[in-house]
Amino acid sequence: MNEEHLYIVCYDIRDPRRWRRVFRKLCGYGEWLQLSVFQCRLNRVRRAELSAALDSLIHHDADHVIILDLGPADKVSPKISSLGKPVEPIQRKPIVI
Amino acid sequence: MDEPPRHSAVADSSTSEPILVPARIVNEFVYCPRLAYLEWVQQEWADSSDTVEGRHAHRRIEQARGDLPPPLAVSDEEKIHARSVTLSSQRLGLIATIDLIEGEGGMVTPVDYKRGKRPHVAQGAYDPERVQLCAQALLLEEHGYTCTEGVIYYAGSRERVRVQFDDALRELTRNAVAGLRALAESGQIPPPLEDSPKCPRCSLVGICLPDEVNLLRGSNAEVRPLAVAHDHALPLYIQSHNAKVRKNGELLEIYEEDETVHTVRLGDLSQVVLMGNVSLTAPTLHELMARGIPVSWHSYGGWFLGHTIGTGHKNVELRTAQYRASFDPATCLRLAKGFVSAKIRNQRTLLRRNWKRADDPEGVLNLFESDLRRALAAESLESLLGAEGQAAARYFANFSAMLRQEDRAGWHFDFQKRNRRPPTDPVNALLSFAYTLLVRTWTVTLSSVGFDPYRGFYHQPRYGRPALALDMMEPFRPLLADSSVIQAINNGEVRGSDFIRRAGAVSLTNEGRKSFIAAFERRLGQEVTHPVFGYRVSYRRLLELQARLFARYLLGEIPEYPNFTTR
Ligand code: SF4
Repeated sequence: MNEEHLYIVCYDIRDPRRWRRVFRKLCGYGEWLQLSVFQCRLNRVRRAELSAALDSLIHHDADHVIILDLGPADKVSPKISSLGKPVEPIQRKPIVI
Repeated sequence: MDEPPRHSAVADSSTSEPILVPARIVNEFVYCPRLAYLEWVQQEWADSSDTVEGRHAHRRIEQARGDLPPPLAVSDEEKIHARSVTLSSQRLGLIATIDLIEGEGGMVTPVDYKRGKRPHVAQGAYDPERVQLCAQALLLEEHGYTCTEGVIYYAGSRERVRVQFDDALRELTRNAVAGLRALAESGQIPPPLEDSPKCPRCSLVGICLPDEVNLLRGSNAEVRPLAVAHDHALPLYIQSHNAKVRKNGELLEIYEEDETVHTVRLGDLSQVVLMGNVSLTAPTLHELMARGIPVSWHSYGGWFLGHTIGTGHKNVELRTAQYRASFDPATCLRLAKGFVSAKIRNQRTLLRRNWKRADDPEGVLNLFESDLRRALAAESLESLLGAEGQAAARYFANFSAMLRQEDRAGWHFDFQKRNRRPPTDPVNALLSFAYTLLVRTWTVTLSSVGFDPYRGFYHQPRYGRPALALDMMEPFRPLLADSSVIQAINNGEVRGSDFIRRAGAVSLTNEGRKSFIAAFERRLGQEVTHPVFGYRVSYRRLLELQARLFARYLLGEIPEYPNFTTR
């Protein structure tokens, strides 16, 4: 029903200040993979929140964001080829420090 | 102009003016009367992807606003364009914030923004949306404007749908307003819809529990797993000495001696648990309260000191029902028997499942039958306490049958009998700590559902004791606390070196506590089949489900509170 999916979010933002803002916002939703690429694990509500947040940050005539849905987070093992550092899909577990 | 509060059901208490019904709630009343009641009278709220998108669709419209000229000034030539205008009328008993009012040629047109795409239905829009728009029109007319049609703008497909305010729609709208007001005054929540396709889309489905409530009221329809959400938000425990927590944008940073040791996304958090000397900045606490993330405070040893939860839950109806029931000795006894007998059953099940000793457990297991009979026949809380004590003695006398005799390092976990304050051996230290974690979990769950965790039925109120949390956790002691202890010991997750012995008292080290919290939380994440509803649900979600069912019982919606037992 409301299970979490794994997403890759890539963005192309013209203005460095807006880029920073988009970057900081995305930090709240997922893990930074590369320059303008994030990996996120979200349910439907969080997915909608992310779209709304990004939609209000970007300039629609200059910037561009794409959100790729890789499927249910606990069921897919995305076929990602990664040279250099490995890419580990986000796991969900309680944090004890 | 001041905005009316988003969820305001009550009129200004200094006047005796009648309550005004928001047009948004009239929409919900037409969708489902129970939804309107939950949201308006009981002040329940939950986001779904639809509500998030809906807010976003409205966001732009709420920023700018033009002026709405008085009716007489609406001339034939001038065009009107006014955004986010709030109108109310005592006579209609209505209030509404209209997204946009357009006007031309002496007429005004309310425009309502909706998320999503235009539905392909005969009337152009669904009834709840048409009624909401018509309610806005009635308000405009009440203020002297002429208004014969309105527009619904669907943000998803960028389409405008025209709605004519004909007699039939006006009638429908007036009846809905009257119906909603009568419902609110009745103080009776309407029953859930039966097997309705509306429920899966409803944002309050996890609070309403339509299929569960219908089943417990005697319906035969199959229970759809609508309330079983996956755990997306999870707890953060910080027990590291001298750790500090601060907020940085969308993240929480935990740092020690100016070095960040961990960052956690705020959006992924369900609660924050602080043990011992951990500090939090004021802006962090504000942010956590604003997001409704509870913070619970504990001594270094895990003793529960209290929790911070913003302004708390607004469901007064529920707390009133809780207090009222708690003053009735017969209700207290009936509920207490339920808690205790479910606990005895679960103790027996746990023993049966985990029995490791060579002898046959049947003899021991059968003896629990007499404890159960004694509990169910109890005529006072005292005699119930006696039955509970007898079962507990039997259970703990055999507890060591569930423990592996030696861990991998050759450490032997000895257990003779239950003791506390202070525990004198590692197993008792683990059990005490496990119960502390479980009380904490129940206290947070109960407050987030709207209960007062300090007023109970079996456990009588005593200073600082979360009596209701203690009541509700009885059946879960064996299932969650004891079984985490058994798992942690048998899997070798805690070992001899995780304990400190001082003056006959045994306590856990920092590392030992950390491993045990992980084992306990893992147990909460495990799924079980619900014996009544038949679907699989994680224990974490199950606790909330049981708390909500308990609320439905206290509010008179279901005849019995179904205690949780497993096979
Ligand atoms: S879940 Fe179904 S019955 Fe319950 S409030 Fe929503 S629509 Fe109504």
